[in-house]
Amino acid sequence: MKISYQWLKELVALRTTPQELAEKLTMAGLAVDSVEEHGGDFILDFDLTSNRPDALSHFGIAREAAIVCGGRLISPLVELSESSETAESAAGIQIAEPTLCPRYAARLIKGVKVGSSPKWLVDRLEAIGQRSINNIADISNYVMFEMGQPTHAFDLHTLKGRRIIVRRAQPGEILRTLDGVDRTLSPEMLVIADAERAVAVAGVMGGEETEISSATTDVLLESAYFDPDSVRHTSRELGLTTEASYRFERGADFDAAVRAADRASRLIAEIAGGVVLQGVLDEYPAPITRTPVPLREARIERLTGLKVEIERAAEILTALEFRVELLKERYELLALPPSFRIDVSREEDLVEEVARHIGYEKIALTVPEWSGTGAYLAGETIRRGLRRELLSSGFDEAISFSFAAGERDRLFRSSETDTPTITNPIDANETAMRGSLITRLLESIQGNFNKGTKDVKLFEIGRVFGRVAADGRPQERERLALIMTGMAEPGSWREKQQIDFFDLKGAVQSVMQSSNVSGFTIERASVEYLHPGQSAALIKDGRQVAMFGRLHPRIAALYKFRQAVFVAELELGELLETAGHQIRYRGLPRFPASSRDVSALVQDDVSWRDIEETISDLGFGEIESVNVFDVYAGRGIPEGSRSLAFRITYRSQDATLTDEQVNLMQEKVKEALEGRLKIQLR
Amino acid sequence: MEQSLNEIREQFHRDLDAITTAESLVAIRDKYLGRKSGLIAASKKNIGKLGADERAEFGRQVNELSREVETEIERLDVEISARNEEAALLRERVDVTLPGTGASGGHLHPITLVRQRIEDIFVSMGYSVEDGPEIETPFYNFDALNIPPSHPARDSADTFYVSDTLALRTQTSNVQIHTMERQKPPLRVIAPGRVFRRDTPDPTHNPMFFQVEGLNVDRHITMADLKGTLTKFVEMMFGVNLRTRFRPSYFPFTEPSAEVDFSCYVCDGAGCRVCKGTGWIELGGSGMVHPNVLETVGIDPEEFSGFAFGLGIDRMAALMYGIDDIRLLYENDVRFLEQFA
Ligand SMILES: [Zn+2]
Repeated sequence: MKISYQWLKELVALRTTPQELAEKLTMAGLAVDSVEEHGGDFILDFDLTSNRPDALSHFGIAREAAIVCGGRLISPLVELSESSETAESAAGIQIAEPTLCPRYAARLIKGVKVGSSPKWLVDRLEAIGQRSINNIADISNYVMFEMGQPTHAFDLHTLKGRRIIVRRAQPGEILRTLDGVDRTLSPEMLVIADAERAVAVAGVMGGEETEISSATTDVLLESAYFDPDSVRHTSRELGLTTEASYRFERGADFDAAVRAADRASRLIAEIAGGVVLQGVLDEYPAPITRTPVPLREARIERLTGLKVEIERAAEILTALEFRVELLKERYELLALPPSFRIDVSREEDLVEEVARHIGYEKIALTVPEWSGTGAYLAGETIRRGLRRELLSSGFDEAISFSFAAGERDRLFRSSETDTPTITNPIDANETAMRGSLITRLLESIQGNFNKGTKDVKLFEIGRVFGRVAADGRPQERERLALIMTGMAEPGSWREKQQIDFFDLKGAVQSVMQSSNVSGFTIERASVEYLHPGQSAALIKDGRQVAMFGRLHPRIAALYKFRQAVFVAELELGELLETAGHQIRYRGLPRFPASSRDVSALVQDDVSWRDIEETISDLGFGEIESVNVFDVYAGRGIPEGSRSLAFRITYRSQDATLTDEQVNLMQEKVKEALEGRLKIQLR
Repeated sequence: MEQSLNEIREQFHRDLDAITTAESLVAIRDKYLGRKSGLIAASKKNIGKLGADERAEFGRQVNELSREVETEIERLDVEISARNEEAALLRERVDVTLPGTGASGGHLHPITLVRQRIEDIFVSMGYSVEDGPEIETPFYNFDALNIPPSHPARDSADTFYVSDTLALRTQTSNVQIHTMERQKPPLRVIAPGRVFRRDTPDPTHNPMFFQVEGLNVDRHITMADLKGTLTKFVEMMFGVNLRTRFRPSYFPFTEPSAEVDFSCYVCDGAGCRVCKGTGWIELGGSGMVHPNVLETVGIDPEEFSGFAFGLGIDRMAALMYGIDDIRLLYENDVRFLEQFA
């Protein structure tokens, strides 16, 4: 909101510079964004909080300025001379909806001459960014920017039956507003009507047919108080915000109606000629009352730490036009808020009024006493540890929007689960709360490819959503996803290997290791969005807690990927619950180990796991480890087979094993492999 | 005919000059110093032909030649092996300016970097980090926070809804309410997390961002504690010599309320691009917990008081790293991500 410093000076005797004033008002809670020079004047641009509609005018700002700068307040002149003809005889007002319109006042001015405004008025309005229309409309605007009360001028002759009826719109009722748009109204909206039809959307905008024109001679000037919620609702429904609706929906001054009507009528008679009819038409069926709010001296200190005597508090509140009853012996007061301060209803509100005028800068800096310890979120140590682990494996951390395109997201949900859908999305394509972290990460991969980055390793920790549970809330589960594609060591002039399944598996295993989770197995799995030959699941306590593998070529094609992409998604929440088992030290071996290498031709349907299990089933406690060191398929190896080389390490805890002992066990191993797995040893 | 010692010496030096390897040096040693067939040993046979007075002199000269040969061979031996070693090292020379290999490290997201720092600071001040649902009921997201049913923030133009009774939380203040329902004061809590507002992405807006909410409720908490705590935070986060400024403001869930600024750490208040010429940088909103909020969760506002604050993590990250388009935060462009450590 723009305020002219020159205009302000007519309403309050100021001796401060515009910059000083801006600083002081900002520190009193009326934030000034900028002060700019404008043709010998200064324009202060305010960014006011929504609870202070009382300050949305020059007089409103003047009231606060008078206190913070110590100047005298000068009220706009409202006295006027009236003709002998009474307003009552010329028009009538009826409020059919007193809850939506508690008060409707009007003045009638006859014999005006509509024309252009005098220069001073045009300049005033232009200084605060308003365009001049005609003298009557300009005066109505001027009064709003001066006093804060919106008024509206009707051409009296166009009002059928010379009557104003404040009622709800009829279903489907159409009104062409001042901006030339036909508005279809509904019964939730309040309108100003004449005897036959709606002539204005109450508190929002007037109608075209009843507006002031060059032919207008008689004016009905409306000055009303409308229910804030009603105006807000109508304004939103119509998608129409005006200076008037902006003030009414925040809450106008319910006592200002007559004063503003008088002020505007006085100016009309002065500038556009004409006579003001006798009396104000003022329908106010149930006057709004306020109750006094108590304030204790002790409460001020209790909340702010400021020691303020109750007399000083009374002074401040009186200056703010509260009606104060000081109960000195009780160190208390009662303050009746003025009609324009709709934001004050509790003791704490008064504490703020007092504190902001004493100055927040007077409040000390203390740190509260406390005995206790701080704590991170459960699992945070492990979360940070696995972030470090992933970083060292070259993963960058991603963070994506939690909503995504539903038809894509469904591809990556582990079951048929529906996730919550946003009913009012920004992008109609992105309505689903994600059921998988993979959806957005694949988009990120696509984005990186488009920018020419082909080697990408990303991870994301975040929540996915599931169906609404018994408590009425959708499930929210914390997951970790990894995604990797391109070169295993990008930018290396030596290593030219592409990322493959085992790089991903290694990353998954390192996550498990850094989270200190044990007791899981990794099995071949069937996952719809993964390549059937390169997909696996991590099983813990009989539950699949992670799935990983190469993106199915069919899905890769949807994204037009031309290189293999590997993805993993882990139920991080579940893993964190079991993570961090107690570490137990094992004694170091005291006797040397012996090892034997095995080279074997293995059918493809025999897995490495089968070999490991076959060996461990023999139950030789002396077998310390079985490590594969070469896998080869291709030239020289029959179709459907591969060659595996592995090393078995033997060690006893009690003695050095002899060659004979080791050979004996090695023979048994070979027999078992040949016999049970039909492995050809070489 | 036997060679004279001088001839042997001359021949030795000629031989020596022709030598390049340690192996030929062994041959030379044999040739001159060999015990039986060595040239020096052979020349000793001539001793019999000399007179008694010449023998001693001859003996001395033979010994001298032997020592000379010995010394020269040794010197050359050292020289050759030094040369060999040097050559071997030279063969193993690499171009040390080629890039190092091995997977290069990844990068934490700037949001995480800032968030972890905030958590560390508040945990060190005795706060507990809490968490709550991202999809929330209007009660926790609005009602309990004293946001009236008609408040524009609830409007579907500003808040995402997934049903009539569930919205994407617009602030992490919902965690305040859950925590106060669960635990009784004294309470010291921060709640970092994702929040959602219906803003179309542009350089300064995103429909999702991260916030951290703080809450401290106890018997004697005042605004002075709020000021002291946030000033301490600013010092730890941005720099020790910074000042804070508290401006009266309005939030439905606090009363009195304050907007918090801190003096620009770039220009120290003189005015620059970072602070848009004002000398101050906005930190966030704060205030004393509204008595309606305390009453809603069954805490007596006469017995307990508290402060709360809400800070934007994205904004802080944008500020700290000079990010001028915050849409980049959620696009996961590797060229952006790898700038953070
Ligand atoms: Zn600056």
